[in-house]
Amino acid sequence: MSEFCVKELMVPLSEYASVPEGSTLFEAVLALEKAQEEFDHTKYKHRAVLILDKKKRVIGKLGQMDVLRALEPKDEDPGQVNELSRFDFSANFIHKMQAQRRMTAAPLKDLCSKATQLKVEDFMQAPSEGEFIDQEASLEMAVMQLVHGHHLGLLVTRNKEIIGVLRMTDAFAAVFHTMKECEL
Amino acid sequence: MKELEKLLDRIIQRININLRELDFDITPFVKTLIPLNQMVKFYAFYGITPNHPLDLVFRHSSLAGSYFLGKIRTRNSILYKTDIRGDELKQQGDVFHYQKFKIPITRDEGIDIEDSFLIKTLVHNFSHDPETLEKFFIRDTFSALGANIHGAPSDGCYLGPLATVDLTTMRDCVIGTYSYVQAGEIGHLNIGAGTVWVRSPGSFNFLYHHPLDKLDHYINFVASRPPQGLFIDFVEDREEAFQRVFDVVNLDSPVSVPPTTSLDRYAVIKPKTRIGENVLISQRAYLQNSSLGKGANAQEDCYIINSRLEGFNVTAHGAKIIEADMGKNIFVGFNSFLRGQAKSRLTIGEESIVMPHTIIDIKKPLTIPPGQLVWGMITNKQELEANSISLKEFSRIDTSLKKGNLYFEGNGAAFVTAFRERIHHILEANGAFFDGKKNRGHAQKNQNISFNTIQPYPDGALQGLYPAIVIQP
Repeated sequence: MSEFCVKELMVPLSEYASVPEGSTLFEAVLALEKAQEEFDHTKYKHRAVLILDKKKRVIGKLGQMDVLRALEPKDEDPGQVNELSRFDFSANFIHKMQAQRRMTAAPLKDLCSKATQLKVEDFMQAPSEGEFIDQEASLEMAVMQLVHGHHLGLLVTRNKEIIGVLRMTDAFAAVFHTMKECEL
Repeated sequence: MKELEKLLDRIIQRININLRELDFDITPFVKTLIPLNQMVKFYAFYGITPNHPLDLVFRHSSLAGSYFLGKIRTRNSILYKTDIRGDELKQQGDVFHYQKFKIPITRDEGIDIEDSFLIKTLVHNFSHDPETLEKFFIRDTFSALGANIHGAPSDGCYLGPLATVDLTTMRDCVIGTYSYVQAGEIGHLNIGAGTVWVRSPGSFNFLYHHPLDKLDHYINFVASRPPQGLFIDFVEDREEAFQRVFDVVNLDSPVSVPPTTSLDRYAVIKPKTRIGENVLISQRAYLQNSSLGKGANAQEDCYIINSRLEGFNVTAHGAKIIEADMGKNIFVGFNSFLRGQAKSRLTIGEESIVMPHTIIDIKKPLTIPPGQLVWGMITNKQELEANSISLKEFSRIDTSLKKGNLYFEGNGAAFVTAFRERIHHILEANGAFFDGKKNRGHAQKNQNISFNTIQPYPDGALQGLYPAIVIQP
């Protein structure tokens, strides 16, 4: 398919947005904004922040979806509406209940103001097994992992140490480039 | 007792294998619940009547304190103070209606219990599963005290204390403490404690969750500890009264009973109780200073204390009514707990439906108007408003309703009709409408039951187990 390998396409860890564990959601969002300003390799922006432990090891990833989920209204039993599909309620009904719940909850502005109190560890996703890829792996291998794991990015390793992130946008750009070469 | 210990381990293992997908291990809930030496303390017994088939086969089972009526098989199972009531099973020649199908019943239906451990459970009604009409199976299943398996074939399931599964086939499911499920067919579901779920696919879906922090006061069950809470204390406080009815062979009826009424000899009747015509009082029911009007019934494990039921009342299995005045034609669902106080009585108007697993526990007088649908947990007037609606208004729902913790989707009229038809069927089956000639039901058919007792090995490796026993006409 191509001669690209992962290390040529990845964003090095030093250039990726990261925050230490214990940071607040707001600090994570600020780190993301800063990384987006500094990073201009492509027109695509960072969409996640890595969470590092004291030894600078990656312990989790906070994506845009995780931030939005963190700001979902919390009522007495937040699981209840989300659980309705298990009990065979229709998608329409669930959507209606979710909308009702959103309407009666605090305005988004109030929820956003709480971002300074929420800790990233409570909302981050710990890396899963299929989310790691060796720096020497081929683009084909990376595409396979992205597609089958439904990941937006992969953590690139060298001797089991995480050294960067391969984003879906980087993989897609490489595939697109290869397509154009085939056309020629 | 070695053989019984081995049997318990085998049952636990089989259930755990079925529930592995849900990552649910029943061992800590089950292992210490009933000390196995209890299994030699109580005889098992069975009923003989001219109105029901007699076909009992027990193999490699322990049956302490359990009751059997009808066509029943047990194999590799432990039953403790459990009632297996086979008086509503289908008979050869019956026709079962399901959707557009009319399915002939080719042989008498039987309840078939294998590799299961049932504690103080009621098994009743018949299999509603069109795929297994002649066999009401209970396999690889554990049920804790107060559970009801009502017309609900079960394979690889755990039912917590006071859980009810009603007219539902279930496979590999966990039914949490005090949960009620009537959903047709379910599989691989873990239903949390305090859930009330009634579903008729394509027609309606009713879901309520009890507030768990408040439910804990009434019933809670965690691993390695017996179930606790007010419900347990309430029953234990009255347990001694049952001792006498189980110990004495010939008992005189403690009250006058009309000839069209059935009072089970294993029920407890305390003074000042009055019983009307066409009334059914089942085994392990407890009545004290109460009156039951014509056509009312008190099913297994019901407690009716200092209360008045005007007539044609259904008090379903395990329901408790204390210090209450109940109008005519009121349905009180499984395991409901309705408690007024001597000076703050609970009054419920006629034609009301109290959903299964409802708790009404009041300190001030409370009146529920006629024709209401009531559910959930109610301790005062505000909570009644949040957890009730008139049946008329409910019948007008054509899409959905969200009220408190209740979610309802579908057709309200279909829901009300289904309940009303079922209540009518229950009254009919119980003989409430008997006119001296027609409409005989349990109240008339169950009057003359002879009871025989059977006993386990008293000692040795087989202690607690019963020898293989076949009882047929």
